[in-house]
Amino acid sequence: MYWEKNYETLSKNELTDLQIDRFNTTLKYAAQSSFYGNLLQKLGISPGDISDIRQIQDFPFTTKQDLRNNFPYGFLTLPKKELIRLHSSSGTTGNPTVIFHNRHDIDSWANLMARSLYCAGIRETDVFQNICGYGLFTGGLGFQYGIEKLGALSIPAGAGNSLRQIKLMQDYGTTVAHAIPSYLGRLHEVFEMHGLTPQKDTLLRTLVIGAEPHTEEQRKRIEDLFGVKAYNSFGLSEMNGPGVAFECIYQNGLHIWEDAYYVEIVDPDTLQPLPDGEYGELVMTTLNRQAMPLIRYRTRDITRIIPGKCKCGRTHRRIDRITGRTDDMFIIKGCNIFPMQIEGILLKIPEVGSNYLINLETINDVDEMVVSVEVKKEWFKGDIHKLDLLTKQITSMIRDEVLAKPIVKLVEMGSLPQQEGKAVRVLDNRKNGI
Amino acid sequence: MAYEVSIFLENKIGHFERITHILKENNINIRSMALNNTSNGWGILDLLVNSPEKAYNALADKGVSVALREIIALEMKDVTGGLDDLLLKVSKANVNFDNAYGRIIQENKAAILVIDVQDVEDSKKKLQEAGIQMLDDKNVYGIE
Repeated sequence: MYWEKNYETLSKNELTDLQIDRFNTTLKYAAQSSFYGNLLQKLGISPGDISDIRQIQDFPFTTKQDLRNNFPYGFLTLPKKELIRLHSSSGTTGNPTVIFHNRHDIDSWANLMARSLYCAGIRETDVFQNICGYGLFTGGLGFQYGIEKLGALSIPAGAGNSLRQIKLMQDYGTTVAHAIPSYLGRLHEVFEMHGLTPQKDTLLRTLVIGAEPHTEEQRKRIEDLFGVKAYNSFGLSEMNGPGVAFECIYQNGLHIWEDAYYVEIVDPDTLQPLPDGEYGELVMTTLNRQAMPLIRYRTRDITRIIPGKCKCGRTHRRIDRITGRTDDMFIIKGCNIFPMQIEGILLKIPEVGSNYLINLETINDVDEMVVSVEVKKEWFKGDIHKLDLLTKQITSMIRDEVLAKPIVKLVEMGSLPQQEGKAVRVLDNRKNGI
Repeated sequence: MAYEVSIFLENKIGHFERITHILKENNINIRSMALNNTSNGWGILDLLVNSPEKAYNALADKGVSVALREIIALEMKDVTGGLDDLLLKVSKANVNFDNAYGRIIQENKAAILVIDVQDVEDSKKKLQEAGIQMLDDKNVYGIE
């Protein structure tokens, strides 16, 4: 029933003791980085000083901005020769967020990922198709290593090309697939287009969906379309990537691996910790990472701890679905995007004004990012070719920056709402269905 | 030289009317027009008016994205096959155009074809060499 019974079913006291022990070890590594080295000195805390896990609240929060400001090596605890991989955010505006891993970190991540898959009922007998971008994005390699650790047969299919995905499923008898929820509607359409149904024409029994917030209705719809069970996966690159929290077969919240992460939910305004059951911002501390530990990292994701015990017997608490963000980041096509990135691109294009609007819309069952920009009057010469070319240029520049292809709409000067005070740049009109 | 008034237009209710309203208020008469829609939610409206410069200023004053574009206007007969006769000559002159529209000057007698080309000077030269008559602005816009 368990991947690691000794860790997954620890009593509250045992888990807390393990957390204290691991946090002291984490501090030992952290002290070797310039960022946390300075902080520990300032706080007068030494590795080994922690005897009560609540002492973690003596530490200030670490933010994405801290990561950017100390790019690239300010959080690094080890010499470069000990590192074996990095994952980094996309983008060219400002410093990316980069996380370095040594062999221990990669092994520990793969193990958490295998544990996650196991708890969703996935076994070594499964054939696992990972429909997910490989590369700097953590969803590809994160799952890959977990599937291999678990011992299932992995198909590193990568993202896109729906017909090929279906052929892979049929050729190799795929039983489990991982994809972003918004892609699965599209995939099902392609099944239909070719007169196929996943129920009859594949051996698919489980889907793993994540990297994009989605509702319970959306999950139900995916389960109905494919005739499978769909399990929610949660992760973020700053905490490795996937394998941070995962649903077990009871599909009632996501077990967050508390032997690897210390979890707090804080009020986004007062930043004070909230009791279980209340919604707030998820704050996480790595407890088993060596090359780049993070202490009290503000994830900006809003969720809550689901009170009570899970029927599966795992003692690690469960978080609820992510209901929103405390910053302006949005996720589309599985890509994390900040409006500032789009703005940075538009500022480089002299033909368009600085005012812009991002509409997130569901078009033909696919979620799209529609970017409206104003064409400068003085540039307009009545030439349709030039405008077409401009559209293509903006599309590819945004795509290169955020990895998701936008639909670029040129609009008349002055037709976008004038922005005063806190600008509303993103309108989310996506349907909750897939 | 003859000009058309080119306008960047979003494909939205009321946007075309806003343009025609400005022209009406400024006593500008539209002689002919072409509206090119794209699949991207916008289009370009090309207008042949009796006073292009006046129209340009009136529209620009109201913040419209507008441009004056030089066009080539060719005469044809307003009879069956008139356009075909003209196009045969134009294609023999090896001139390609992106957009075209026409207007009748005298019923059953004369009409003009307005063409929108990428390289005006080059096209004019080719048409001249092929002996095709190009009309001046008076004939194009019509008499006030």
